[in-house]
Amino acid sequence: MAQDSVDLSCDYQFWMQKLSIWDQASTLETQQDTCLHLAQFQEFLRKMYEALKEMDSNTVLERFPTIGQLLAKACWNPFILAYDESQKILIWCLCCLINKEPQNSGQSKLNSWIQGVLSHILSALRFDKEVALFTQGLGYAPIDYYPGLLKNMVLSLASELRENHLNGFNTQRRMAPERVASLSRVCVPLITLPDIDPLVEALLICHGREPQEILQPEFFEAVNEAILLKKISLPMSAVVCLWLRHLPSLEKAMLHLFEKLISSERNCLRRIECFIKDSSLPQAACHPAIFRVVDEMFRCALLETDGAPEIIATIQVFTQCFVEALEKESKQLRFALKTYFPYTSPSLAMVLLRDPQDIPRGHWLQTLKHISELLREAVEDQTHGSRGGPFESWFLFIHFGGWAEMVAEQLLMSAAEPPTALLWLLAFYYGPRDERQQRAQTMVQVKAVLGHLLAMSRSSSLSAQDLQTVAGQGTDTDLRAPAQQLIRHLLLNFLLWAPEGHTIAWDVITLMAHTAEITHEIIGFLDQTLYRWNRLGIESPRSEKLARELLKELRTQV
Amino acid sequence: MESLLQHLDRFSELLAVSSTTHVSTWDPATVRRALQWARYLRHIHRRFGRHGPIRMALERRLHNQWRQEGGFGRGPVPGLANFQALGHCDVLLSLRLLENRALGDASRYHLVQQLFPGPGVRDADEETLQESLARLARRRSAVHLLRFNGYRENPNLQEDSLMKTQAELLLERLQEVGKAEAERPARFLSSLWERLPQNNFLKVIAVALLQPPVSPRPQEELEPSIHKSPGEGSQVLVHWLLGNSEVFAAFCRALPAGLLTLVTSRHPSLSPVYLGLLTDWGQRLHYDLQKGIWVGTESQDVPWEELHNRFQSLCQAPPPLKDKVLTALETCKAQDGDFEVPGLSIWTDLLLALRNGAFRERQVLGLSPGLSSV
Repeated sequence: MAQDSVDLSCDYQFWMQKLSIWDQASTLETQQDTCLHLAQFQEFLRKMYEALKEMDSNTVLERFPTIGQLLAKACWNPFILAYDESQKILIWCLCCLINKEPQNSGQSKLNSWIQGVLSHILSALRFDKEVALFTQGLGYAPIDYYPGLLKNMVLSLASELRENHLNGFNTQRRMAPERVASLSRVCVPLITLPDIDPLVEALLICHGREPQEILQPEFFEAVNEAILLKKISLPMSAVVCLWLRHLPSLEKAMLHLFEKLISSERNCLRRIECFIKDSSLPQAACHPAIFRVVDEMFRCALLETDGAPEIIATIQVFTQCFVEALEKESKQLRFALKTYFPYTSPSLAMVLLRDPQDIPRGHWLQTLKHISELLREAVEDQTHGSRGGPFESWFLFIHFGGWAEMVAEQLLMSAAEPPTALLWLLAFYYGPRDERQQRAQTMVQVKAVLGHLLAMSRSSSLSAQDLQTVAGQGTDTDLRAPAQQLIRHLLLNFLLWAPEGHTIAWDVITLMAHTAEITHEIIGFLDQTLYRWNRLGIESPRSEKLARELLKELRTQV
Repeated sequence: MESLLQHLDRFSELLAVSSTTHVSTWDPATVRRALQWARYLRHIHRRFGRHGPIRMALERRLHNQWRQEGGFGRGPVPGLANFQALGHCDVLLSLRLLENRALGDASRYHLVQQLFPGPGVRDADEETLQESLARLARRRSAVHLLRFNGYRENPNLQEDSLMKTQAELLLERLQEVGKAEAERPARFLSSLWERLPQNNFLKVIAVALLQPPVSPRPQEELEPSIHKSPGEGSQVLVHWLLGNSEVFAAFCRALPAGLLTLVTSRHPSLSPVYLGLLTDWGQRLHYDLQKGIWVGTESQDVPWEELHNRFQSLCQAPPPLKDKVLTALETCKAQDGDFEVPGLSIWTDLLLALRNGAFRERQVLGLSPGLSSV
């Protein structure tokens, strides 16, 4: 408590100084400085109010003799009054100073003075005398016409900006850059007042002919913050303009998304999809410049977390939402694929972007082989001075979960000899950093496992032990992590699809999941599989039921 | 219903009293009661704002009150401006009390406690009075900030936001008067003409006549305008202007040429009278041989430049008006003797000047120097 009050006194001095410098915020510098401190000042006001409300008027004056000055200075700064709830808190603080029963003229004068300040905050602006006489003469009080006046002023400014944007060369109608900059500063405290939205939109969308950015950075930050916290609703075109004009805002929006994803429940793709769609980033990413920045941030996240499955899942869901948004864009406004994926061969990009749903199921295998060939070509081709090498190809491939997750399933489903291309693809997906030798070895191991599984599926009964042996897990430490994971997923797939799979499923999983990390991995796998089946319309009631039950059970374990 | 209407009556009295010194007799209990009544009425407005019969009954009652006070034209209405005002009658009352110096210390203290109870007082459905007042304060600073940091008076008056707002208010008031039948709108307008600064009033009328036909004023709680459309307000204004030659003369004199042209194009019934005025003005000028220009005899005569300006502007208007103007000028020229030589008839000279002006304009614009339609 005592520490609080010491802090408050220090803050008090600091803010008193600041307010004196800002005065009525009529210059560029004072306006900018005020805007930077609006949120902190409001916090200070709240703390002051908490302290003041416990005291009576006389105590307040003893404790803070210059409080009247401080509050008055704040009230005469229109930026402060315009911000969020500051005007309300200021009024509360002023009310704490009112003396219920003034004993002497000094106290009466104080009461009177407070009344004046309150009036100032709430009274109408003194426009030209003629206007005042007119409205009064008609019998209207300011409260009657203020909303209308504000609306007209905002719309008039917005249309001036639009005209400026369209008729940039018509010098008579040009809006001076200082004026536009000034307007953007003024919007900072007002950003959450809905009446101002048309002006904010116009400022974002309309840029004059100046080569450099006119709008103030604090404006962009304020708008971005309001968008992320859902305190303002702007059309998509305005949001895209914001992110294109001010890169830090886009980065902040991505970080905000990451934070939400991290703090939410692990391994729930449906929720991830919700967050992603909610963020408006997929639609914005239809603009290639934004897509590239977003992709870069995903790439960094992936590298920093060493390929964490959650990040991969997020990328996949994001890409899916992005492709959906892209479909909705009108054909004329669509950019060429090359602008989104400049380092990829066009044929590869095109085939990856195809939705499995648009291809008949019988052709999926063929398409996967084609993808595999193109990817292998890109990966093993040394002559092109590999742009980023295998990692880039892998990074591209993992965007498209629809295809990537499908490979194992397709391999299991066909009774024929597993095609080399698909084995390669599977090995590449799980182990992008492998050397050629290691990958070849993995492919051999996978082929062996597949063979065994095929044999087992033909036999009448299954046992968990047999499956364990096939997997060669637990005892065999030859297998490296990527291959282990791959084989785990093959087994899981097998369990889900085999007719008798459900009988031994739980046993197998119990044997598999000997660490928490692996349990999470299995949960992730099941969640992802269900999500994918749902999206692609793969109907298999038995498999789905089994997957759901396993998922439910496993979730209770962690 | 009757009790509701009586409630409205009592509240209107209360509101009228709240800005007088009579409040010095109010104790905290009275203040609290007054605010409660206001809150009740606001609630009523919110619940029954769209409900035809109840709304009409309340409106009729308000109109009765105004009639008793002697109609609209007597000055600021002490009570509620219109039905919509019920939606924020608590704010109205609060502001009047807050600004009234006559209110006693104890009552004032109590008032402030009522208005600003502090955080944590939230109403799920309605916005609390505290929130309404805070929003008013915020909007006030918004207007302040925009006014001093970006607002510029628009040279096209009809697009200027201050002018537009005043025009919207005027049209709305005319609508009320029409509904209240407190007095004929003409009488109301005449009384405004006598009371208000005339120059501003004329500008507002012009802007009002140029407002687009729809969109009523925005309210916090949107209500469909179930009565006459705002377009009727323009008709009333036009009628009044036509019926008051003195006002119309001032109207045509005070306002810029471009604005008048727009108004006359929009309201064709005004054009004959406007042209008549211009003709009168023109006839008052005579040709000064020494100086070689047309001059007036008295100081208040409209000078040549202004006359020319107005005709020029009219000739740039779209067809029906433009043709009428040219016909009128030709007729006048014919009446004067149909001279082609300058200096004899002002109408000849005007037509010549207009033709030259049009010619020069076409040259500047790079258009063919062929015969214009002038």
